[in-house]
Amino acid sequence: MSDCEKTNYIGKSVQRIDAFEKATGKAKYFEDYQVQYRDLLHVKVLRSPHAHAKIISIDVSAAEALPGVITVAKGSDSDIPWSDLPYASSYYGNPAKDEVIWAGQAVVAVAAETIEIAEQALELVKVVYEELPYVTDQRLAMGPDAISVTSPELGIAAGYGGVQPEGPNVMGSYKLRHGDVDKAFAEADIIVEEEYQAGKKSTSQIECNGSIVEYQQDGGVTVITNGCGVHGVIKNHLLTMYPQLTSSKLRVIQPVTGGSFGNRLFPLVEPLAVLMALRTKRTVSYVLTRKEMYISSPSNWPVYTKLKLGAKKDGTIIAEKLELVEDAGAQIRGYFDGRLSSSGLMCVYNIPNVHCDSYAVRTNTMPCAPYRGLGCAESEWAMENLLDVLAEKLDMDPLEIRLKNMIKNGESNAYGEKVTSIGLGKCLKAVADGIKIDEPCTQDDGPWKYGKGIAAAGKQNTPLGRAEADCLVHSDGSIEILVSCDEQGMGVQSALRQMAATEFQIDIDRIKVTRADTAITPFDNFGASSRTTYTTGNAVIIACQDAIEQLKEAAGREVGLAKKQITIKGGKAYIVGSNIESIDIPDLFKPFDFFTQQTWGLLKGTPVRGRGVFCPAPAVEWFGPGHEDGRTPRMWNWYQFSAFGAEVAVNEETGQIKILKLMSTADSGNPINPKLVEGQIDGGVIMALGFSIMDHHMFQDGKMMNPNMSDYRLPTTLETPLQKNFMRAILPDPLPDGPFNAKGMAESIMIPVGPAIAAAIYQAIGVRPTEMPMTAERVLKLIKDKEANDAK
Amino acid sequence: MQNRANYIQVECEINGKPVDLFISPDRTVVDVLRNELGLTGTKQGCDDGNCGACTILVDGKAAKSCSMLIGQIRNKKVTTIEGVSDGDVLHPMQQAFIDHFAIQCGFCTPGMIMTAIAILNENPNANEDDIREGLHGNLCRCTGYVKIVEAVEDARDQINAGGAN
Repeated sequence: MSDCEKTNYIGKSVQRIDAFEKATGKAKYFEDYQVQYRDLLHVKVLRSPHAHAKIISIDVSAAEALPGVITVAKGSDSDIPWSDLPYASSYYGNPAKDEVIWAGQAVVAVAAETIEIAEQALELVKVVYEELPYVTDQRLAMGPDAISVTSPELGIAAGYGGVQPEGPNVMGSYKLRHGDVDKAFAEADIIVEEEYQAGKKSTSQIECNGSIVEYQQDGGVTVITNGCGVHGVIKNHLLTMYPQLTSSKLRVIQPVTGGSFGNRLFPLVEPLAVLMALRTKRTVSYVLTRKEMYISSPSNWPVYTKLKLGAKKDGTIIAEKLELVEDAGAQIRGYFDGRLSSSGLMCVYNIPNVHCDSYAVRTNTMPCAPYRGLGCAESEWAMENLLDVLAEKLDMDPLEIRLKNMIKNGESNAYGEKVTSIGLGKCLKAVADGIKIDEPCTQDDGPWKYGKGIAAAGKQNTPLGRAEADCLVHSDGSIEILVSCDEQGMGVQSALRQMAATEFQIDIDRIKVTRADTAITPFDNFGASSRTTYTTGNAVIIACQDAIEQLKEAAGREVGLAKKQITIKGGKAYIVGSNIESIDIPDLFKPFDFFTQQTWGLLKGTPVRGRGVFCPAPAVEWFGPGHEDGRTPRMWNWYQFSAFGAEVAVNEETGQIKILKLMSTADSGNPINPKLVEGQIDGGVIMALGFSIMDHHMFQDGKMMNPNMSDYRLPTTLETPLQKNFMRAILPDPLPDGPFNAKGMAESIMIPVGPAIAAAIYQAIGVRPTEMPMTAERVLKLIKDKEANDAK
Repeated sequence: MQNRANYIQVECEINGKPVDLFISPDRTVVDVLRNELGLTGTKQGCDDGNCGACTILVDGKAAKSCSMLIGQIRNKKVTTIEGVSDGDVLHPMQQAFIDHFAIQCGFCTPGMIMTAIAILNENPNANEDDIREGLHGNLCRCTGYVKIVEAVEDARDQINAGGAN
């Protein structure tokens, strides 16, 4: 093996940097820091029992009088920040002020010496509500005559986009016009149309959200949290909310964290924990219970899609018309306009005429945030299902219709963006082959019927700002990478380490990663949209190259030669054109000595510091004058793709579904660490299996009925297929601008699972689900409806 | 504040060491392990025994420490994730979890490893179905369980082939 092969870590399944600590219980998550604070205060929150109510009065006097209670906070307190945007503070988890708009919203918060005292104090709080009409179903929330989610006299029901003409709860819209859809439908040989719904679900990461906030004597705070984006999200938001904190008085640290999947992408616990620390001048801990995770932390956004496709007899799809509504929950964020979800309906197939009207609507339910896939699992549920309907009418097989219409590398999508990396064709062929889609299942006389299905998926990467990295070359020759990216479990710091080792052509054990402490590590935005490998990865490469250039210069000075004559690898500077062949990197650092010290050159104890900054190119405006068609040559960055196939059994007496065999394929770009990619495939598939057939929020009387891990049914080892029936493959198409041609991949995996199962159900029992999750109850109803229909 | 008049004496053995607690009887085992004894390797992801992150061994059997009051470990032998390895020599189960990439965010890992050890304590020849049956009270949201089950099978084979512990 050559030196270069030994130190090229790209595409190798190097062990995770954090596996030993995690396997031994030594890894410290934020809550594990509690034990070091013996004077800790605990924060507990009283939450609204009503989906919508006016707050008439709040009496906290008895709670305040309870021994051990240090402070009680309510929304009308003067130190709770409210901007012009209605509900802004309470969006970030602070208590509501004038009205509550979902069951679970914070109303009063207590900081006390123990959790028990805090809980006891909450029982002493008296809140008088005046209940108001509410709406929890997004289909009822749409439209001009819908019940308003908020009281108009208390705040406008609009997002950053302003009041929308379509109705009181509509907060934003995105419309795209590409080609001539009416003409195309007139020319189509076959037209299919259907309405689809994807439900409300929780990421349910096992570690609950929480923070410890340490008060500093200068009036500042240190936040130890499992929230995402120490610089880009948490610090930025807290500085906006609390003007008494300045950049140097606010330190945010993210230790090891237990999952996020999008749930922690906006500050939810940090603002209240900081408020209580500032008030009490003590260290406080605020940890959500599992119930609070369900009723107050974000869910995904459910999506309603009405989709119509027109095709020629040969299967070429020539027209697509879609109306899509995102349910954003009770509170608002600027990005809710239907654009995120509808992106899933633009990025897989090359359709020359597209008419897209997409909206976001509010409901009196817990506010929504990204859930792995950013609404595309919800919208592509419609596309993939309707494609199967179309294929059947055209007498085409599901693979053929997808391959025929798929966007090819170098082609432009409906936005007008050129696609530079798409490996979907081989992903689709592999799953079709893997589950032998051409071989029909053998049926028997029992209640279980069998079927197979496949589906495809694509997911955009949003260009979400800058990542920075520092690369330190210590005077012992070891390398330290400083980054602020999130590590929620995906293993990205291990992948970054592989990139750095490859740049330096050095043994990976010589590379260390220091991460996510705003006092130490440079800016990064947040771990969203599968961006970290790409964005932070590119920053790390640039930082390494910067440090390498400095080493070359230092080595060149040693021998009086130009940088171009120096190569850095294996912990040495190799020189051409000199009698000296190489210098060990540590020897470039001069001992600190009374007689040799000087301002210039490398000194022992002072590392070389390389800097890397990487930011994707900015988006190009798609709105405003001149952009009436909503198109743009750059709305997103790049696309990841995936395909999925499944063989399922459906019990026609109970509606129950069992996954017998599955195959998932990922176009991840060039994978940095295949085992880590496999882990993302496995986890994504099973998470998606859950929301496809099992887990969802159920509401009654405006409240979530199942806010615990027994009634909110997540997949266990029993719902997942045996290893021999779980197949997967990484089938990359390299991304030209990716670090070592990698791209992100963990979101697209989720998307095709539901529709492939739906296709298999149709093959098994002849009913087509249109609502996800396809729970046993819903499937049984479809069976009964079909039986009733057939009997007519 | 806690009422010390109600406190109870609990003698037990934790990770091979005798422990003598004088403590309020309403406290859960996970709370005492984490907040009094500093054994923070045991995690808590819910409070009703559904997630399994808090799984420990009590007399060699898997138990969910969020759903046990401290009096329930009186005179028992408790093992937490901190008591599984022999110094730097990992238990074959820990090593297998590492080798098979069965760890992602790691929050379920301590509980998962404790349950897996208990499965093999009870049935050293557990097959994949037995392992899946045994692990079904431990939720993981990252791995899809695929590599976890692989790891437990590998640990079983290592132990049966005469590996450590």
